[in-house]
Amino acid sequence: MAKFIEKHKRILILAEMEDRKLASITFELLRAGREIANKVAGSLCVAVLGHEIGDVSHEAAYFADEIYSLNHSLLANFDPQLYSSALKQLYEHIDLKVIFMSQTLDNLSLAPVTAFKIGAQVITDCIRVTFEAETGYLLCTKPVYGAKFLSTFKLEKEPYLVTLRPKAFEPIKPSSKLGEIINFDPVIERKILKVEAIENVKQESISLNKANAIVSGGRGIKNSEGLDQLKELAKALRRHFIKVELGASRPLVDARLVPSSRQIGLTGEKVAPELYIAVGISGSLQHVTGILGAKKIIAINSDPKAHIFQVADYGVIGNFEEVVPALAKKLEDLS
Amino acid sequence: MRQIHIIVCVKQVPDPEGPAESFKIDPGGKEIIPVGLPPVINPFDENALEAALCIKGTHPANRITVISMGQKLSQPVLRKSLAAGADDLILLVDQKFKLLDSPSTAYVLSNAIKIIGAYDLILTGRQAGDWDFGITGLLIAEMLQLPSINLAQKVEIKNEAVFVERLTRYGYELVKAPVPVVVTVSGEVGELRYISVRSLQAVSGKPIKVYNAEDLQLDPQKLITRKIIELSAFHAQRECKFIEGESFQQRGENLALTLRKDKII
Repeated sequence: MAKFIEKHKRILILAEMEDRKLASITFELLRAGREIANKVAGSLCVAVLGHEIGDVSHEAAYFADEIYSLNHSLLANFDPQLYSSALKQLYEHIDLKVIFMSQTLDNLSLAPVTAFKIGAQVITDCIRVTFEAETGYLLCTKPVYGAKFLSTFKLEKEPYLVTLRPKAFEPIKPSSKLGEIINFDPVIERKILKVEAIENVKQESISLNKANAIVSGGRGIKNSEGLDQLKELAKALRRHFIKVELGASRPLVDARLVPSSRQIGLTGEKVAPELYIAVGISGSLQHVTGILGAKKIIAINSDPKAHIFQVADYGVIGNFEEVVPALAKKLEDLS
Repeated sequence: MRQIHIIVCVKQVPDPEGPAESFKIDPGGKEIIPVGLPPVINPFDENALEAALCIKGTHPANRITVISMGQKLSQPVLRKSLAAGADDLILLVDQKFKLLDSPSTAYVLSNAIKIIGAYDLILTGRQAGDWDFGITGLLIAEMLQLPSINLAQKVEIKNEAVFVERLTRYGYELVKAPVPVVVTVSGEVGELRYISVRSLQAVSGKPIKVYNAEDLQLDPQKLITRKIIELSAFHAQRECKFIEGESFQQRGENLALTLRKDKII
């Protein structure tokens, strides 16, 4: 592999995988990466990290110019030190201008550690990325102060490492030209592994970010009976949407009525379903920042002044105990 | 077992639970100004302090040192950490600390930590409630060449090792690392314990160490300001169509009918 010199600039995407396939966020990263690559006449690259990952690289070849397959038994499970070590070796081997990662829990660890190792300027949770035309510096926009404001930061020192918020970019379409798959074997030593994994505990397996519709409860849902009504509503919605999930704002999680894996908001998942129904949720900025991508938002709340109505498309003022069963019944009838 | 020394890094932020209208963009367009909103300890950093207090509670000789840095810090706000049970409070205050980027912040904090001396555990919140980067804690670890564990929902120390339940997409992973180690803490750890007015009064005269950039022998070239080129209100507002109906049940039914009419279902 010859190291590209001169002005050839690579934009690297870190592939996210799920069930041994590219996860949907990867296509959003690819789209963001392709736009940047086109602007600097650079190439779009993908790094696939893992163990025995053959098919994923082939899948990625439909979307990018170069696919770096980093296959190593020590990469089978995520660890920020091992992964960043592998990425650093790749960085030292090829010219990289920008690295995009998705804003996932794992990458919240990987991005800062990798940035430190390769001397990259790092910024997290961006929803827009462009180049400043006259200087070539990177401009990154992200929500700050609980999504009350958008702030655009100027990054002036290459390489840039940016994590992108899911659902902020449209997914890329396959190209007619197949990219080249390059096997890159990183040297990874077990001794750099300082944090030892003892047990991986899988709690309820849910993917809120794949749901077409989400019914979410907040402080107004005081007990498990209230939660049961939301479950009934979710059941009725399944007649209209393929995948319906139950979500929650922080108070319900704190009250241990709902596991934290279902929490939506700043510290939980950020979701973008076709329909989001917020029941008994006041609409704190912490929660609202997680639902901005929803196509339609319905708010059901007994307080007409609740902030959630300001970010909703449809509002019902009333006690949810009466509104929700009637809504569920009618949704069943309409199917 | 020997005594454990925990360092907790806390940031002073405008209260993130404050009403939305109390945050304004300053006329220069590069800063957010809280209007009539008192500062607080960043909520995730309070979680970190709570995690530290739980470990301190396992042995009477265990110690907690809290450090905070900023251009201007409120002593009454940060003394809350002493009232909660921390033993020492160190403030890093300098005009040069205004709007520093995350690596510069980690540089300042890690230099202060080197001065403090021996420690077993450094705790920070997973992210700050203002700029929401979530980077500083892990950079401190890299700069001090320590192992780090991000997003802890539970932290314990047993026999010279830290055991952490770190959040994963599917639940959590129990991991172990030798001390000293840096751990960032998530809200699942639990809220900071209740602090009585009496305990706040009891620490009001307790001496606090204050250092500036010079005391820490910082390289001014490494104190880099964040480059913000634009700040704007994020318009999440939508036009809300309120569903009418004589009873709450009827409103529920009418909502379903409206969704059908608007082809959403």
